[in-house]
Amino acid sequence: MSYVAIKGGGQAIAGAAAVSEYLRTEEGLGNTGAEPLAIDAILHQLRHLVDRVVSEGGVYYPRFAALAIKQSMGDTLEAAFALRAWRSTRPRLSETPPLDTSRMRLIRRISAAFKDIPGGQMLGPTPDYALRLLRLELMDESPDAFRAVARNWLEKCPEAELPDTFPKVLDALRAEGLLPPVSATRGQTAFDITREPLVFPVPRSAQLATMARAETGSLLAIAYSNMRGYGDVHPTVAELRVGYLPVMLPHPVTGELVEAGEVLITECEVVAMYEADEAGGKPVFTIGYGACFGHNEVKAISMAILDRALQKGMKDGANNPSEDPEFVLLHVDGVDSMGFASHYKMPHYVTFQSDLDRLRTTQQKSGEPA
Amino acid sequence: MNLERKDWIRALTAHPATVLNALAEDVTAGCDVKLKSLPQAGLGLLTLTDGAFHEPYYLGEFPLSSCSIELSLSDGRQAAGGAQVMADDAELARSLAILDAVLAARFPGWERVSAHIESGAKQRAEEDRRRRAMLAATRVDFAMLNNAEDDDDEC
Repeated sequence: MSYVAIKGGGQAIAGAAAVSEYLRTEEGLGNTGAEPLAIDAILHQLRHLVDRVVSEGGVYYPRFAALAIKQSMGDTLEAAFALRAWRSTRPRLSETPPLDTSRMRLIRRISAAFKDIPGGQMLGPTPDYALRLLRLELMDESPDAFRAVARNWLEKCPEAELPDTFPKVLDALRAEGLLPPVSATRGQTAFDITREPLVFPVPRSAQLATMARAETGSLLAIAYSNMRGYGDVHPTVAELRVGYLPVMLPHPVTGELVEAGEVLITECEVVAMYEADEAGGKPVFTIGYGACFGHNEVKAISMAILDRALQKGMKDGANNPSEDPEFVLLHVDGVDSMGFASHYKMPHYVTFQSDLDRLRTTQQKSGEPA
Repeated sequence: MNLERKDWIRALTAHPATVLNALAEDVTAGCDVKLKSLPQAGLGLLTLTDGAFHEPYYLGEFPLSSCSIELSLSDGRQAAGGAQVMADDAELARSLAILDAVLAARFPGWERVSAHIESGAKQRAEEDRRRRAMLAATRVDFAMLNNAEDDDDEC
């Protein structure tokens, strides 16, 4: 058997794209009422899907994330890939100074550590306490009923006398001497994972940045291994916040920080098992931190647990996969991992022929008398 | 209008880009617009301070457009303006830079810019009010929970 060079796939590839487009628009066949998905509808009614894509794509551009979802027909990995491809064509113009989340415009704030936290607990939009039952009435929701829901809620909602900012639970614990001090690396330049390769060991800023744009399911799976027993973080959520963070940049003329826009983020801080201070000080709680673009609480909690696990692994050596920075950070990126998995679909004719040849030779030899 | 210059972008961007572009076009009818830096659309990198150890790290990127301009009137007066805005729209950045300069220097048309900032600020205030309402409507009243007869859920 000889190897054959192949050509002529161009038509098939173009055909595959056309078939995919046919399926995207098939609803319109003989259906005069069919309409294409509006970007605004995706932005608002599939908001958690958009949140996943902005986070995993690493660019807070909800409108293009919605477009990516539309063109990929809801495949989050493909959508994140398209968003990253777009970002790779854009020049980097600026970076913000280090922003903190104390001035976030919150829509949700809870603590599992304390019942009474300064400013109070506010559930915001969450399915946490809802029954996971199908709402069959949405199967045939009328446009009028749909429009009335938000209007009615706004009419009935209370006038809120709330502060613009809320103190952080961790700050109170730190003031009591129950937490480790803030990092000595404060003020250092952060590691840019989009410009520098991960060569281990990597600083914590590289770990946080990698996890912030990780694929949600991958991050959850490794964090879950730690929760179930392949690790011992045992976290308590000190605070989980969801809200809009003002993006501040210097004014080109005055240099004063100006709000250029805002990003929706989820942030989680966990307190874990306390440990002795090696310098002889009092024992303090260990802590972990997670945050990501969009409203994605599972991701932020998973990241916080893994941040704590990785700190332990960096300090004492990894006792399980979730404490190993190389294992965690090289396996949580959705675009990387889907790319590797997908590449197995591509032609491997030559390498497989080689495998076939070796197997046949081995079989032939094993059948021969020794 | 009481808003400081640092808050103008947030207020103005409550309006559609088409409105701001048209306004900038109008107020520069008698001006010479010189670009100090070209209108650009690209990305910004968001640096966040982590809440646990206060270390800076990069959360991700966002679309960013920027522009700096200088306006000159026929009487010789000049004004500098600039804008960095979270948008993938270089033309919008140019318009915002013009509006920034016009209002800062009280150039002709500044009253219209000021009115747009005021109305934009009202829209932003309404947005903020709706967000606060989400919090207020879902505030947990633990005191009420403690007084409830069937209070057996705490752990």
